[in-house]
Amino acid sequence: MNYSLATLWHERPRFLPGIMAVAFSAVLIALQCGLLLGLFKITSIPVDNSSADIWVGSNQVLSVDLGRPIQLSMMSRIAGDPRVAKIEPYYQAFASWIKPDGGSALVIVIGSELDDGNMGCVKELSPQMRDALTEPNSVIVDRAEFSEKGLGIKRVGEYAEINKVRVRVVGETKGLKSLAGPYVFCSRDTAKLLLRNMTPRDTATYFLIRLHNPADAKAFSEEFNTKYEKRRDMDVMTSETFSTRSRLHWLLKTKAGIALGYTALLGLLVGAVVTSQTLYAATAASSKEYAILLAMGIPRRKVTATVLVQTFWVGLFGIILAYPLVHALAGLGRLASVQIPLPIELLIIAAVVTLVMSMLAGLVALRSVRKIEPMNLLR
Amino acid sequence: MSLPDEVDDLPSLRCVSIVRSFSDGGHSRNVINDVTMDLHSGQITLLMGPSGSGKSTLLAILSGLLTPDRGQVMARENGRMIDIWRMSPREREQFRLRNCGFIFQGYNLFPALTARQQLEIVLRWGEGASGRDARKRADEMLEVLGLKGKEHKKPAQLSGGEKQRVAIGRALIKRPKYCFADEPTSALDWGSGQVVIDQLQKAAHEYDSTIIVVSHDHRLLEHVDISYHLDDGRLTETDIPVNRGGEFESWRAGQ
Repeated sequence: MNYSLATLWHERPRFLPGIMAVAFSAVLIALQCGLLLGLFKITSIPVDNSSADIWVGSNQVLSVDLGRPIQLSMMSRIAGDPRVAKIEPYYQAFASWIKPDGGSALVIVIGSELDDGNMGCVKELSPQMRDALTEPNSVIVDRAEFSEKGLGIKRVGEYAEINKVRVRVVGETKGLKSLAGPYVFCSRDTAKLLLRNMTPRDTATYFLIRLHNPADAKAFSEEFNTKYEKRRDMDVMTSETFSTRSRLHWLLKTKAGIALGYTALLGLLVGAVVTSQTLYAATAASSKEYAILLAMGIPRRKVTATVLVQTFWVGLFGIILAYPLVHALAGLGRLASVQIPLPIELLIIAAVVTLVMSMLAGLVALRSVRKIEPMNLLR
Repeated sequence: MSLPDEVDDLPSLRCVSIVRSFSDGGHSRNVINDVTMDLHSGQITLLMGPSGSGKSTLLAILSGLLTPDRGQVMARENGRMIDIWRMSPREREQFRLRNCGFIFQGYNLFPALTARQQLEIVLRWGEGASGRDARKRADEMLEVLGLKGKEHKKPAQLSGGEKQRVAIGRALIKRPKYCFADEPTSALDWGSGQVVIDQLQKAAHEYDSTIIVVSHDHRLLEHVDISYHLDDGRLTETDIPVNRGGEFESWRAGQ
């Protein structure tokens, strides 16, 4: 038997606002974090959607779109390692896109090998697309950029200019939006031509490595980083590390996380205040019953514990109510092409934060317990 | 002031020269004025008096809920008389937990809990009794109170008399040495009031409890062992009811 739960059920209209407030907080936190995750997942698309185990870039590279050229000769440091199955150069840099109507846009040119065993192509590039890219000066862009405000082209087959080189759009991807500038996928040779000013002839932006055993990736990267630490001319990273580093860089640089964090915090505060008031009122309403028990010598901490257990249940019910809603809203987001990933870790963290919030609200509501005075029953 | 001759055994509760004042619009007013009285186990003591005479205040002082300005409240524990107002608040809470039951005006039952749960909570929270033990004792008490079959009923499903019986059950379930009742019959018809007084008498006799009832219900007079009259904070009259001594005696303070 649980007196707290019995009270909660009996007086559900009284507790409902608190439960709704917790649910509101939980929905807000989970969705905000999901949105943030979705937003910054975009920044690591070139890493996440390709198949390399290891990325080698310039020393201390902050994010995948900020790699500086590295000497191709450095490949020889790594290529001889028996754990390496394959190594290939990869080109990526910002470039100026001139639209057919003369307007310009900043794009990210990505050039990689196109053969079947390549590591650099994002998985969205089909064999036919890769085949089309073998044509010199051909590029593929995302469909979402087919607009006046985007890249100024309307369909596949149109021409534009990148760094004063005429290029032809030979295909389109779906769902590969970018944060800093539209991705333009092409072959290694096309990229070298388009990026000739930023990427000298004997350099690449990254080397991509496939290992015989992907599980070696962490040890491999640590080993090479230690070995060449003093030269400070390259950074060997597992794809997970580089992906996280890219997301974190953009998260911190844009301060978008702070804005979303504030909104989530606001949600928490509203939830905490309503929960606290609900519990305060509920406890105050039962103050005479509690006063009897206090008069009979039952310790005040028992009453305190009851109120705290009530806050726990209010928090739990709020979360249970919130999560189907969170999934429904994330589904709506997907319909509108907004990715809201909701990994289980995120849902657990949001639940814990919300529960802690409601328990803290319960602590605030405890002042109603302190006010209970058995003597008042005799007045 | 002296005490009645009939009360010559050692009291279970004795208050000596109690004074308590309240601030009233800037100046202090004595609500309890030099009250001395003895209460005995196995007896029901009725404290009567008009509204505002200080009955409830005196009850609160006797039960360890309200500090007196002066005077002592001596409770008999392990053959010794101990001043409950010299105990620490924690000791006093423990004293109340061991010894005191309360019945207040209004039933003050938890609306969400069943009759059984109202009683169980006292045993579980107070004594840390097991769920099974608490349930067994609660059911026994409800049966004694004539509430068998109503264990699952919540207050909203009980009549006024039944609710008061549950409230009495809650006060008596731990077989308290002292039971303090504030106007326990005032909201009840006489039939229900009779049940209340019967239960209090039973507690006095079976548990050897000291029962103190504050009321202005004159119907109670013939059912109690001794009654005191409080007027303007002073104990003015003590009656030993007719049914207790065979002969009605009246004793007036100061005479």
